[in-house]
Amino acid sequence: MAAVSALPGMRIDQVVTGRRRRRYKRWMIAAAASLVITLCILDTIVADTDWSRMGGALGILGTLARYLQLDFSLLPHLFVPAVETLMIATLGTLLGCVFSLPVAWFGAANVTPSIHFFYPLGRFLMVLSRSIHEIIWALLFVGAVGLGALPGILAVAMRSIGFISKITAEAIENIDPKPVEAIRAVGGNQFQVKYYGIVPQILPVILGTIIFEWDINIRRSAVMGLVGAGGLGLIFFRQMAMFNYGGVTMVILAVLSLILIGEIVSHYARKAVI
Amino acid sequence: MNITPPLPKEAARRPLKWSRYRYPESLFRFGGLLAVLAFLAFSISFLNVDLSRIIGAFPRLGEILASRYYPPDFAYVMEPEFLRSVRQTLEMSLLGGAFGVLLSIPLAWFAANNITLSRRIAYPFGRLAIISGRAIHETIWTILFVSILGFGMLAGILALTVFCVGFAGKLFADELEAIDMGPVEALQSTGSTPLQVFQYAVLPQVRVAFTGIAIYTWDVAFRAATVVGFFGGGGMGWYLKRTIQQLETTRVAAILLVIILLVSIAEIGSSWLRSRIARMR
Repeated sequence: MAAVSALPGMRIDQVVTGRRRRRYKRWMIAAAASLVITLCILDTIVADTDWSRMGGALGILGTLARYLQLDFSLLPHLFVPAVETLMIATLGTLLGCVFSLPVAWFGAANVTPSIHFFYPLGRFLMVLSRSIHEIIWALLFVGAVGLGALPGILAVAMRSIGFISKITAEAIENIDPKPVEAIRAVGGNQFQVKYYGIVPQILPVILGTIIFEWDINIRRSAVMGLVGAGGLGLIFFRQMAMFNYGGVTMVILAVLSLILIGEIVSHYARKAVI
Repeated sequence: MNITPPLPKEAARRPLKWSRYRYPESLFRFGGLLAVLAFLAFSISFLNVDLSRIIGAFPRLGEILASRYYPPDFAYVMEPEFLRSVRQTLEMSLLGGAFGVLLSIPLAWFAANNITLSRRIAYPFGRLAIISGRAIHETIWTILFVSILGFGMLAGILALTVFCVGFAGKLFADELEAIDMGPVEALQSTGSTPLQVFQYAVLPQVRVAFTGIAIYTWDVAFRAATVVGFFGGGGMGWYLKRTIQQLETTRVAAILLVIILLVSIAEIGSSWLRSRIARMR
């Protein structure tokens, strides 16, 4: 921005007026933002909070202390749900990759079958997948296929489509067209053009994205149980319903250790891919 | 006269049919595929997934949506009570995003490897704060804050704040680690305090990027704000929970459509603003 404010050949008073105008504009933006924030605080925190119910600082500290009495008897019951959570995340990511193949194909402007129909459809599916929160996806699928791990897998898969296919479509749009033309020139069919011309160019990007998404999906699948879709979330929900706050903390620690594992694995996997 | 040199033995043994991977590599790839399939089979049996249902899931979802969720009850979402909750959701996302961004700037400063105040104390503290915000899902934060502070928007705002600290803090820290160290060293060599270094050498370099990230953070926070009400955090999520539990499916459909519409508007608006800011650079 500094480079724009003083171009060579500008008179000094022009520079000064430009700066003053910009400073004025910045002040106006800051004032508007703080006005909006103040109004929001008045409307939500001040008007909507029941301070007496919290019981003051002591009450809050008392609640916190209840969370810190860890319940180690829960520990043996956490292993199987933790493995379930990890599997829901993995299967969901894999299924999401399968679903996002056609979406990325439709949504990439240079390979889409029809720019007027399939391209907007692909873009719309990407936005739809990301705009619905994973909890809502899980609720819809619990209604459709019943309780268990399957709605969790499907919800994680649906939520993954948006990110994976968006990055993939962008990678497809940025490929080098020469290998594609070469394969078409030697007589490759539509599938061979895609498999040998496009896939090798975008594979590292896609693998990195999938690993990143898997890492996020571990967090997501840990809450799928809150709406009845298996894994650690179910244990969390039960402990919360029993008001066993120490158990809740144990479940959170289990989630954290899972995420730590995911973080380490994805770090090394991404290093191996790129 | 035959002028072509005789083919080397190895080349003669090559298969005539071209394939992308040759013997040892193709075996490894086959083994990898086999391992993935074995893992798939094991986890499907471990999770008790009925594969026949996965095929029927989408037709069934469509059928349920068509028979029970259609037509959406738009009169419900036009009621002033619901519109108030939409406004509250927007306010929660604004406050959570603003608090989160303001908090995550110093935390990202601590957590940036190259300009951190002290590697022993500030760096682990900043990293821990950002990682814990990211690692735990926003719905779990909401439940925790609701159980401590009671139902209402305060819990939702705090949950969104923690979520935004994790989200924006990581992006801010990445941005800070990529800055040009020249101005920083110049100011340090003149004896500036760390705050002066941050204000005059670091902040001007990242201001545009930070603005873009802050807008993006609000976009993501708005998406999360639509569901914090589901667990007692206030906003339209609470209406979603109530209608779902009362099986008022046409109203659920209307609320879902409103959520999709609002999130799309937020996304379009934020990407427009971000592209304008990127051009200002």
